[in-house]
Amino acid sequence: MKSIHIAVIAGFLAIAGFFGLAARCAWLGYWNFEDYAKQAGKPQNTIVPEPARRGSILDCRGRVLAASEKSYLIFAEPRAIDDAKAVANELAPLIDMPAHDICIKITESRNPGFVKIRSSVSLDEPLIRRINMIRGIGIQTEWTRIYPTAELTSHVVGFTRSDHVGAEGLELQYDRQLSGTDGRLVFYADAMRRPIALKSLESHPVDGSDLITTIDVSIQGIVREELLTQINAFKAESGIGIVMDPYTGAILAMVCLPDYNPVQREKLNTDAMRNRCLTDPYEPGSIFKPMVAAWALDCGVINTTEQIFCENGNYHGKGFGTIGEYRRGFGNLTVGEILQESSNIGMAKIGQRMGAQKIYEGITVFGFGKPTGLDLQGEQAGTVRPLAKWSGYSVARVPFGHEVNVTAIQIARAFCILANSGRSIQPHLVKATIDKDGRTIKLKHSTATAGYIIKPEVAKWIVSKALVDVVNKGTGRNAKLERWQVFGKTGTANIANVGGSGYDEQNYVASFAGGAPAENPKIVVLVSIRKPDRSLGKGYTGGAISAPAAGKIIERTLNYLEKSSI
Amino acid sequence: MSKKNNADKKSAAISGFDWLLGETIRACALMLMALGVVFVSSAAARLDAEYNIRKLYAYTEFRQAIFFIPAIIIMQIFASLNYRRWSIRKNGLPGLLCNPMVWAMLISLILLVIVLIPGIGIEKNYARRWLEIPLGPVRMSFQPSELAKWCLVFLMAAVLAQWQPPVKSFLRRFLPLCGLAGITVALIVIEDFGTAAFVAVLAFMIMLFGGVVWWYLLTPLPPAACGFFFSIVTNPTRINRLKSFFTPDPNAVSAEAYQITQSLIAIATGGLWGKGLGNGISKYGHLPEDTTDFIFAVICEELGLAGACLVIFLFIMLLLCGIIVVLRCKDRFGQLLASGIVLTICLQAAINIAVVTQCLPTKGIALPYISAGGSGLLLTAAASGVLINIARSSYIRIS
Repeated sequence: MKSIHIAVIAGFLAIAGFFGLAARCAWLGYWNFEDYAKQAGKPQNTIVPEPARRGSILDCRGRVLAASEKSYLIFAEPRAIDDAKAVANELAPLIDMPAHDICIKITESRNPGFVKIRSSVSLDEPLIRRINMIRGIGIQTEWTRIYPTAELTSHVVGFTRSDHVGAEGLELQYDRQLSGTDGRLVFYADAMRRPIALKSLESHPVDGSDLITTIDVSIQGIVREELLTQINAFKAESGIGIVMDPYTGAILAMVCLPDYNPVQREKLNTDAMRNRCLTDPYEPGSIFKPMVAAWALDCGVINTTEQIFCENGNYHGKGFGTIGEYRRGFGNLTVGEILQESSNIGMAKIGQRMGAQKIYEGITVFGFGKPTGLDLQGEQAGTVRPLAKWSGYSVARVPFGHEVNVTAIQIARAFCILANSGRSIQPHLVKATIDKDGRTIKLKHSTATAGYIIKPEVAKWIVSKALVDVVNKGTGRNAKLERWQVFGKTGTANIANVGGSGYDEQNYVASFAGGAPAENPKIVVLVSIRKPDRSLGKGYTGGAISAPAAGKIIERTLNYLEKSSI
Repeated sequence: MSKKNNADKKSAAISGFDWLLGETIRACALMLMALGVVFVSSAAARLDAEYNIRKLYAYTEFRQAIFFIPAIIIMQIFASLNYRRWSIRKNGLPGLLCNPMVWAMLISLILLVIVLIPGIGIEKNYARRWLEIPLGPVRMSFQPSELAKWCLVFLMAAVLAQWQPPVKSFLRRFLPLCGLAGITVALIVIEDFGTAAFVAVLAFMIMLFGGVVWWYLLTPLPPAACGFFFSIVTNPTRINRLKSFFTPDPNAVSAEAYQITQSLIAIATGGLWGKGLGNGISKYGHLPEDTTDFIFAVICEELGLAGACLVIFLFIMLLLCGIIVVLRCKDRFGQLLASGIVLTICLQAAINIAVVTQCLPTKGIALPYISAGGSGLLLTAAASGVLINIARSSYIRIS
């Protein structure tokens, strides 16, 4: 054999080798396709979400409190632009921005592929087309959250973070329903995870549901206006106003001052962002008395005609210390007169008759000491001390609203229970959601039909006799109206010293809780104003500060409801 | 003497079959080069593509296209030069000194030494294999090992053609030839294990074709094996490559394992007909060395099994033509040179494809004609030109 024939044989072996390699390729590409395609999937794909529209938040009459608006982001690709000046001049009139600023943004961009010219621009179809014609300029759609009512509903509605996730208020509480589901676009990606080309549309965006709240913006406006007037007039630290429907538990208005503008994020501070109605329990003082009195009547410890000797303003004894009145002492009073004159000694004596066990039961039945379950985040339970820790002092103090801490929403609910003849209710802010297809889904809240927690006749007597007398003849005279019979109770509570025992003698919470019309209550109103400036000499009591505000709120709200309900 | 002169003269008497053979080789080479231009352009595609026309040479995709035309011209030049020019026509030292390949070999050995000097040799991917030659406004980079490979093939064919088989005389004939190959391989192995092993195999095979007594060839094996073993254990990259070959793990994080996994993904996801020209995904940063050593994976991804078979078919055609050329050639030098050229091109192609499909451990070996790299393309085109000339010269008879 010639040696060169080895070369020929080698050549044929090489050909055989190539066939082998072809077979290997076929095996890899044809029979192993699935395995490797799966392996390739993750690093070679990137998912770009197509944002869903976030649901709107509406008031009970369909007025917009929060909504998502489609807006546009104008951007430039600097490397595609030869004459930045010409492009800027062309673009400037279309987006209402100085040409000079655009030019600077394009020329000074560090990223040759992308520079944001202007975001949140609203454009119409022809304008979009004209902008797209400009070389090197592009448009991206984005959602902008708008809050037309701004400060007015800030604590209720809350706001979203910049990534459109609820951060506060209803936006946070109902984030799941509001946010919907983003669509998913799958792109092929390079090793840096930048999209190259659209692979598939995995899912379409599903828009979020709208919320219909129980808030009435008009009433909200009335409450805020009256509250603001009083706070300014008395230089108070803060204020709370709640208007509720006593039968359904629907909150028609919930105002906290100071408030904030949800759009101006940079000015947000945690103090103003707190929804004080839920987060700041306080000693209620005398507005607590009607509930205790109602419970005492309900238990049969006292009756409406029985005289209670009020010790002429000086009641002391072993085991409960000394109790005085606000201004003057009283002799014999019926329970109605005790409420009317807001006698602490009278209430203390009723409490002592009931005993710790019964008082504790009563205030627990009215829902104090645990959150009301309002559909907002951050609600506090308040403090009702466990029965084992009650002393003689407690039995004589709790009945007039000391030694307990309650939130404004708890007080408002308790007054609703009295106003609706003793039925428990669930305070709530959202009554229904409307999904993307327009189907309305009513949210279930337990309403006034749930059952009586106190006898209806007791509740009726408290509201239409005792609390009416408070307004007509007693401490609540400033809330009296000509057109409507108002019922209610004033309260001027000391503020417990922070971190110590005893009370701050200079600062008070002035409250008025009540409603109207007494015969058939339509609304329950709570106004609490914290730390009015006593040095102004205009008064600091609930009767002086909160009662007139509550009266005006009741008058205007009932007038409004009368006119608007056909 | 007169016979030889006649043979060296250019003759117009080319037979039809010889012409067809030459043109088939040319067609295969041109189609492979054209595929190379297309796929280097495709694989070099970037997302943030922005081109500066003045720096055209800096873009791999254009560089390959720029070299395409010179490659055609060079192939034509070498096809029209009589291949006997590369043989040794006189005995002894004068014969050697008259042979251009001897000088080219010397130059390439010097360049192989120069490239090892830090500061002159350019380091890419942790290996100092490149020289940069300033050529007007551009800097052309170039691997001396490529030149050395071709010089060795030509020179060994020329030297072996002088001796009648079986080539005996271990000391006077085998040892100098083996020494030349040994020095070349030793210089290459310092920075480039794959090419060195490939060149060693080439030298071994050409000596076998040249009729060197077979047991002579066994003698350099122990020292060569020792040398290669030493070069493997002293270099962690080479150990990793071997490890990743013998223990394939799709989740491995080492660069070598990642590369081969990406290569297999590219080939497999191509399927039967591929994702379409330019539609590959692996080239966007997923597959390293996509324009050079792993361009076959990009072809498979974009043209599928069909594209892979096309490339393999062209190399098989080249091999078949080469075998016919060798069988028809009546000149011993022509036979040796033709088999050397075809073997160099096709064996390299086979090794490259085997690496890409994980049949062999990863080496830095390019796919001839197709992988990006201008100087390599020109040298391969020149060798193809020589092969065409041999194919056309079957009438030459020297013994």
